[in-house]
Amino acid sequence: MRQSSLTQHDFTVISNTQVAEGVWRMVFASEVARSIEPGQFMNFEVPGDGSHILRIPLSFSLADAAHGRVVIYYAVVGEGTGRLARMRPQEASTLLGPCGNGWRLPADTSKRALLVAGGIGLPPVVAAADLLAAAGVGFDVAIGLRTKDALAPTLLQELELFQDKDTQVRMATDDGSLGLHGFATQAAEQLLSERDYGSIYTCGPQVMMAGVAKLAEERGIACQVSMERMMGCGFGACACCNVALAAGGYALCCQDGPVFDAQEVAW
Amino acid sequence: MVSVSMAVNLGGIQMRNPLNTASGTYGNGWQFEGFYDVGATLGAITCKGVAAEPWQGNPAQRLAELPGSAIMNSVGLQNPGVRGFVDEYGAYLQGLRDKGCQVICQVAGHSIEEYVRATELYEELAPFASGFEVNISCPNIAAGGAAMGATPEAAAEVMRAVRPRTQRPVVVKMAPHDVAEIGRALEDAGADALSLINTIPGMSIDVCTRKSRLSRPTAGVSGPAIHAIAVRMVWECAQAVKIPLCGIGGVSSGEGAAEMILAGATAVSVGTANMYDPTCVPRILAELEQWAEEQGVQDINELIGAFEC
Ligand SMILES: Cc1cc2nc3c(=O)[nH]c(=O)nc-3n(C[C@H](O)[C@H](O)[C@H](O)COP(=O)(O)OP(=O)(O)OC[C@H]3O[C@@H](n4cnc5c(N)ncnc54)[C@H](O)[C@@H]3O)c2cc1C
Ligand SMILES: Cc1cc2nc3c(=O)[nH]c(=O)nc-3n(C[C@H](O)[C@H](O)[C@H](O)COP(=O)(O)O)c2cc1C
Ligand code: FES
Repeated sequence: MRQSSLTQHDFTVISNTQVAEGVWRMVFASEVARSIEPGQFMNFEVPGDGSHILRIPLSFSLADAAHGRVVIYYAVVGEGTGRLARMRPQEASTLLGPCGNGWRLPADTSKRALLVAGGIGLPPVVAAADLLAAAGVGFDVAIGLRTKDALAPTLLQELELFQDKDTQVRMATDDGSLGLHGFATQAAEQLLSERDYGSIYTCGPQVMMAGVAKLAEERGIACQVSMERMMGCGFGACACCNVALAAGGYALCCQDGPVFDAQEVAW
Repeated sequence: MVSVSMAVNLGGIQMRNPLNTASGTYGNGWQFEGFYDVGATLGAITCKGVAAEPWQGNPAQRLAELPGSAIMNSVGLQNPGVRGFVDEYGAYLQGLRDKGCQVICQVAGHSIEEYVRATELYEELAPFASGFEVNISCPNIAAGGAAMGATPEAAAEVMRAVRPRTQRPVVVKMAPHDVAEIGRALEDAGADALSLINTIPGMSIDVCTRKSRLSRPTAGVSGPAIHAIAVRMVWECAQAVKIPLCGIGGVSSGEGAAEMILAGATAVSVGTANMYDPTCVPRILAELEQWAEEQGVQDINELIGAFEC
C-alpha cells in the first residue's frame, strides 16, 4: 500500500484553441502545476450536465510550477473531449492529480536517450524531454503522425525548449505528407542505426509502443512506455484499467503506471 | 450544528452514520485519503471482494461509459486473496476502525467451499473486520458469483454454510432480481443484513466491429441511471424481510441516499459516484444530515422505511 498525495484541484482555462486537425491545446491555471511530474497525468472533470460521468485522463507537455500553469493537448474523440474543447477562457472545472507514476531518469545519464512519439502521445514525450534536459541527458526524437495536418506546431516549439544542438527530430507520416513515408518505429529504427542510445522513452498507440519495445529489447536498451487505458477513477479505486504483465497477472495503469518498463508489459 | 442523531445499526454493525461504500468502487479506502479523512467520515467501508486465493480478474477492456449517467464494468473480482489483502491493507483498515469507521470485508467465491474457506481465513487473519459481506451477486465471473445467488435455495445454501464460521455480523450482497423471495430465504438462513443491489447485467455492442465494447459479452451496469431501479428493489425487499438493508445503486447525492432510507434502507452505500467524484461522500453526508433535520426528526432511524404510499 502506498501513500496517496493525489487530491482534487480547481483549474481555470487561460486559453483553449484548436492547433491541428482534431487536436486542441489548453493552457490552464492550477495548483497541480506545483506538484505534477513529467509523465504523470490528471483526470479532468467533464464540464456540463451530469449525463457524461467519467473523467478524462490527460497527460501534459509543460508544467510551470512558478506560475502555476499547465499545458495539455487533447484529441477530440468523443463526448468528454468534445465538451472540454468548448470551455472558454476563465471557465473553471476540477481535476484530480497528480495521478500515477511518471518518467524516470535513465540509470546511465551519460548516454543519449531516444524519444518515440505517436500521434497524441507526443505531449508526455515533451515532458520526458524536459526531465532529461534538466538532468543533462541529450536526446533525439522520432515522431509518427497520420498526416502533416495532425502536427501541432506548438508542440514542436515546446520540444525545442529542451533540445541541444545535436538533437535530431525525425518525422514520419502514414501518408508521406511530412518526413518519412511510414511509421514512427521506422524513424526510430533509422536513428537507432545512426546513434548509440542508453534509453528509450515512448508514448503512442499500443501497436507502436509494442514495436518500440521490441526494437529496445533486440538492442538491450532500457525502455519506458506510457500506457493508455480507459479509466474509471484514475487513482486505483476501481481496477478497471488493467495492464497485462509479462510475469502474469495485471497491474493497474493509473496506479502502477501509466509509465511502465517495457519489459514488464505483456505485449 | 446538526442535532439529528445519525447513528444506525446494520445487523449488529454499529455505524455512526448511514454512509457506507459499495464494494469495488472504493479501493480499500486509502486511495481517498487525499480527498478527506476516510476514518473520520464514513459510517462504514466495504472493501473489495476477496477470495481465499488470489484472482486475476478479466482481461481488458473492463470498462465502458454508457450514455445517460451510467457505466459498465467487467472487472471480475481481481483480488490478492485474503492473505495478500490482510498483509497489504490490514494495518490501514485497523486504523479506520480506531477512528470509528466500521470495516466490512467482502467474501467472494466460485463455490460454497471457497466462500467458507475465505470466511475462515478472514476469521483467522482479520481482527479488524467489523463484519462480512458475502458477495453472491457478481455478474462478471464465469462460475460462482451471481450464479450462487440466482435462486432462493442457492443463496440460502451459501448463507447456511458461512453462518457457523463466524460470530461477526454477516451481510449478503444481492443481485438485482427476485429480491423479496431471495431476501426472505437469506433471512431464514441467518443473514444479519442484506445489501442491494449489485450491478445490473447489460450489454454494449460496438456496431462497427459487432463485438462487445468490453472483454465479455455482458457486464454490470451502475451509476446514477440505475438509481430508480435500486430504490424500487430496496422497497420490495424491505417489505419482505425484518433484517436491516443497505441500499446501493446510483447514489450520488443526499437526496438519493434519503430516497434509499425512505424506501427502507438502514445504511446507504455510495458506489460509482466515488470513481468520478471522489470528494462526494462528505457532501452526501452533509446533505443527508440537512434533510433529516428538515424532516424534523431527532433520529435518522425514524425515517427508515417512512415512504408513504
Ligand atoms: C494516462 C492517460 C493519458 C492520456 N493522455 C492523453 C493526452 O494527453 N491527450 C489525448 O488526447 N488523450 C489522452 N488520453 C486519452 C483520453 O483520455 C481519451 O481519448 C478520452 O478520455 C476520451 O474521452 P471522450 O469522452 O472524448 O471519448 P469517449 O466518447 O469516451 O470515447 C471515444 C473513443 O475514445 C476511446 N477512449 C475513451 N477513453 C479512453 C482512454 N482513457 N484511453 C484511450 N482511449 C479512450 C473510446 O474507446 C472510444 O473509442 C490519455 C489516456 C490516459 C489513460
Ligand atoms: C468497477 C466496479 C467494481 C465493482 N466490484 C464489486 C465487487 O468487488 N463486489 C461487489 O459486491 N460489487 C462490486 N461492484 C458493484 C457495486 O458495489 C455496486 O453494487 C453497484 O455498482 C451499484 O451501485 P452504484 O450505482 O452506486 O455504483 C462493482 C462496481 C463497479 C462499478
Ligand atoms: S482507473 Fe480505477 S483503478 Fe485505474
